[in-house]
Amino acid sequence: MNLPSAAVLALVLALVAAVAIAMRPRGTSTVDFYLAGQRVGVVTNAWAICGDYFSAASFLGVAAAVYVSGLDGAWYAVGFAAGFVPVLLFVAAPLRRFGEFSIPDFLGRRLGSERVRLVAVGVVQLVILSYLVPQGVGSGITWQLLVGQGVAGLSPYATGVLVSTTVVAGLVAFGGMRGTTWTQAVQFLLLLAALVWLAAVVLGEGFRYGDAVAGLSEAPLTNPTLGADGWLLGTEPNQIHPGEQASFGEPGARYGGVGQFALIVTLALGTAGLPHVMNRYFTSPTGTAARTTTVWVLCLAGLFYALAVMLGTAARELIPGAVDDHPWLRELTVDGVLRVPEHALPVLGRIYGGDAGLGIVAAGALIAVMSTIAGLLLASAASWGHDVYERHINPRATQRQAVSAGRVTTLVAACAAAALALSMGPDAFSSVTSSIVATMVTWAFAVAGSALTPVFVLAIWWRGTTAAGAVAGMVTGTALAVAMFVTGTVADLPLVGEVLVTPTIVAAPVAGAVTVLVSRRSRVPDDVERAWSIMHGTAADRHAERLARLTVAEGRRGKGRWRRAGR
Amino acid sequence: MDDGVDGRDTPAEVDATFRTLRRVAVGYFVVFLVAIVGFPLLAITLDWWSASRLVGGMSPGFLMAAFGLYAFFALIGIAAASLSSAVEARMLGGPGPSGDALDDADAAP
Repeated sequence: MNLPSAAVLALVLALVAAVAIAMRPRGTSTVDFYLAGQRVGVVTNAWAICGDYFSAASFLGVAAAVYVSGLDGAWYAVGFAAGFVPVLLFVAAPLRRFGEFSIPDFLGRRLGSERVRLVAVGVVQLVILSYLVPQGVGSGITWQLLVGQGVAGLSPYATGVLVSTTVVAGLVAFGGMRGTTWTQAVQFLLLLAALVWLAAVVLGEGFRYGDAVAGLSEAPLTNPTLGADGWLLGTEPNQIHPGEQASFGEPGARYGGVGQFALIVTLALGTAGLPHVMNRYFTSPTGTAARTTTVWVLCLAGLFYALAVMLGTAARELIPGAVDDHPWLRELTVDGVLRVPEHALPVLGRIYGGDAGLGIVAAGALIAVMSTIAGLLLASAASWGHDVYERHINPRATQRQAVSAGRVTTLVAACAAAALALSMGPDAFSSVTSSIVATMVTWAFAVAGSALTPVFVLAIWWRGTTAAGAVAGMVTGTALAVAMFVTGTVADLPLVGEVLVTPTIVAAPVAGAVTVLVSRRSRVPDDVERAWSIMHGTAADRHAERLARLTVAEGRRGKGRWRRAGR
Repeated sequence: MDDGVDGRDTPAEVDATFRTLRRVAVGYFVVFLVAIVGFPLLAITLDWWSASRLVGGMSPGFLMAAFGLYAFFALIGIAAASLSSAVEARMLGGPGPSGDALDDADAAP
């Protein structure tokens, strides 16, 4: 990386740090530290949720998936975007109205059980770690590819992991949810700006989307593989019609028939169980605001993923023709096809924007990683600090002690994730899976969708849900998802293997059924009607809206008095 | 738990609203499910869906994965959120959010 790209990267990181400092929490209460005072506006929260949700898997991974497997890669984008529809329909408004600190807190209070809370903490930490480690690995890979140099004798990979984790942990511990909200909002806007800029430049240079898809679909899809004789270009077999070759614009390059459904269901149901995303809903002022926020997220996610799919296609179409004019592409490609598909966006950025363009995309990739790490660390801190420390270790903790516990747990979680990311470098699992980043992110979605989403939805929409049922459902969902995922990753089983690595399509219905069966044989919590009034009634929303209107009116009257006095 | 409940939503009102919202959510979810299962199914079963060329040379299947499904998710979200909020406004809180407090405040000298 040379001076222009390093300058862009440094500028962007300085902007994010400045926002975190400017928007640091003003008080020392846990509501301020974990929930930003529950006063985050609809649009700001939507931007922050997008910053939280769009990780490196979304920014670089979706374009890479489309680049390498055409239409089958686009199903990743569809699954990620679809995830917010179940959130909107079943979770957002009631979750906010119940108004707790975290998913374990919600389940523990709703079902009146500390056992539920502690089991949920375990599942939530598993999901967070599964998501956090690949983000660390992703930042290491990004640094390795785009900076290429380590500091203080460390390898580039280790430098990337440590720098990103240290910076983000510091920002989160310092800024809490309030600072993190604003940094994530700014990070999302920068991320979207990078994609829009790249799309505008590519279209301005004459790229025709429809013609490109039609042209790419005429020839068989080819990708490089590293064999005994070095890198060779080979055609992709069609997974749906065995014996035929896969095509860019048709399904079958990566998944068979069942695999397409299993992937979309796993991604779509997983979102509602992601702790760092769900925790953001507790920061909304009302349930209705949480619902409206989700509508904004759906629109922004659609724009983001539509651009990512287009740019993956653009990379496939344009890079072969650019090799002659850009000799540096020769060592990255085989006959014009990238060896590492995650290079698709950085390469496009460098072709059309030079070193500054590479810097913009590099900054976008690091921002995507860092904003997701921030959300995960905060969710981890809320679950350890609030659900374990405040409830079980020191129930008489003062607000200052509780906030300090949150800061310490943020740092501990960051150290654990960094250590794991350092121990499992990108090459550690290369014999088992092609991409540890994509594999572990899918794992996080699978565990969240299998263990948390069914219990979550039942606790909100079925009065009969009990603590025993919830525990049985979470344990069953987690165990089944992990067992299926490990089996599918290690063993090469045709047909069944696709479902095993995206297990939610099986594990979620089983976990839901177990929750219902066990709940029917156990006692419903005594205060279920009160919980129902809070979750599905709007009295608290109306109260908050009245207060907000009065505050606005009082502010107007105050301004009016001030103007009259001025005359 | 928030303790801001002002007691004006009776259990019967809440229950009726809850049942209506559940019907709305399940109805929209079925439509959503049909779409996300149906489009891959069309891609696998109908050659025309993947092989024919529509706008700018894209097949109907690619067009949906590139643009159509995101627009569909946004539309379903807007429709469900509007209907749910309208149901809550009509069934809960007596006369509804009239903004009396704001009107009163604005009318004050």
